[in-house]
Amino acid sequence: MGFFQVNFFSQALGFDTEINVFIPTPNSDEILNHKKSDYLRRGVKFQTLYLLHGAFGDYTDWMRMTSIEKYAQAHKIAVVMPSASNSYYQDMFYGSAYLTYLTEELPEIVTKMFPLSTKRENTFVAGLSMGGYGAVKMAFQCPQQYAACISLSGAIDIIKVYEDVANHLMDAPAGWGFAFEDTEKIRNSEADLFQLIENCKQKKVALPKVFQSCGTEDFLYQVNLSAKEKFEKLGIDLTYEEHPGIHDWDYWDTHIQRGLDWLPLKNDSIEE
Amino acid sequence: MAHIDCNFYSPSLEKNAHVIVFLPSVNTDEFPVLYLLHGSTGGCMSWCLKTGIERYAQDKGIAVVMPSGENSFYLDMAHGEKYLTYIGKELPEFMRTMFPLSEKREETYIAGLSMGGYGAYRAGLEFPETFGYVASLSGSLDLCLLLGSDKARAGMESDSYMRAVFKDVTQISGSRDDLIALLKLQMAEKIDLPQMYMNCGTQDAIFPVNESFYQTAAALGAEIKYERFPGEHNWDFWDEHIKDVLNWLP
Repeated sequence: MGFFQVNFFSQALGFDTEINVFIPTPNSDEILNHKKSDYLRRGVKFQTLYLLHGAFGDYTDWMRMTSIEKYAQAHKIAVVMPSASNSYYQDMFYGSAYLTYLTEELPEIVTKMFPLSTKRENTFVAGLSMGGYGAVKMAFQCPQQYAACISLSGAIDIIKVYEDVANHLMDAPAGWGFAFEDTEKIRNSEADLFQLIENCKQKKVALPKVFQSCGTEDFLYQVNLSAKEKFEKLGIDLTYEEHPGIHDWDYWDTHIQRGLDWLPLKNDSIEE
Repeated sequence: MAHIDCNFYSPSLEKNAHVIVFLPSVNTDEFPVLYLLHGSTGGCMSWCLKTGIERYAQDKGIAVVMPSGENSFYLDMAHGEKYLTYIGKELPEFMRTMFPLSEKREETYIAGLSMGGYGAYRAGLEFPETFGYVASLSGSLDLCLLLGSDKARAGMESDSYMRAVFKDVTQISGSRDDLIALLKLQMAEKIDLPQMYMNCGTQDAIFPVNESFYQTAAALGAEIKYERFPGEHNWDFWDEHIKDVLNWLP
């Protein structure tokens, strides 16, 4: 893969930000081992995965803690890893407009900068923990842009998280108090993903597919079970998996691979 | 628009390449592009760290591609990597595939300082169909004169690296690595040469190397715009006079 660290000014955020980007380019393994290496040509485009970090994280996490480059190389998919601070992937009440940045500004910048497909069918979003929530949020906020989303150990059912925090069953996530004006107001807002999906369904637009995976020993396991039920009730095209594991990088490094296998990937560049 | 740190496998180098790219915030489909080469002992970060090139390129509205060339003189080394092939062929092709860069010769420029000034002319004259404009700041343009002088060479490169680059320094004269000889060859074949620009500080130790190259090239009938400024072989000079290169570009 070509590995690109990009630093640019984001108008939506109001400051400079960084992204890490992988673009499939032939590497020594493909050349020496006579694997497919003819996919990089002028004018081709690549399918793209936007890959989101969790709370406490940033744009370097996935690259440092997993072998995402190797997995993406095998599938010939580009990967864009942004920073979202502890925003909960919202336009923050106390902070910057991360949701606008991620769903509007970033796609425009990277599709102009790199050979990335602009088609919905080739655009996916995945994340872990807070980023699992973010992946589902982005996908259903802009269902016309993303064909599928992947949540690994995602804090998807934010109402349940909220109740658990209120009942002292769980520590409040990082930045919890900054993203929202008042956590009471999450209910019936589009920060509640199931409210968001409900609103989406009424607009009769094509909805993204969802891949949801969580470790059975994860502290967010119950939150994921509750989310699974709500997805199913809403008739979302859901692939649900649970495996032994906790809320850690071993789980995410393993199961992002299952997520990639599940995505409708062409495993090649695209002539567009 | 963006400062981009690129790492990718280069088939012509047979190893990973490191390149800094700057794309300006300009509303256009394709950017004119300047390939900008560092000097010996430098790297792809040199121009960014030591000059205001990003601001100047933004004002000019051009993309800048800054590769690493080690101490190779940007040549296909006798015992080492093929930097000339990389800089002149692979890199423009790769960059045009990866980023929205103009394919037009008249919007593709190459410049560099010191060893990179030589590299810019070497690549520009070897691949005149790719590069429409070449520029040198304080360049090692008369390589034979430079390498013939122990004083100019002193401290520049280790002997082992010099052995890797040049099969035999005494054989450069008259070869394609001798810019005057290359210029003669291309002119004899009536090749459409790039526009050429050079500048040098009058207190620079390699000022004579520039004077000599210019006089000889001019005597051949080559059209080169040459500017002499007060100054030495240092980043103060290059930060100031890269602006003259940008002003000279279309």
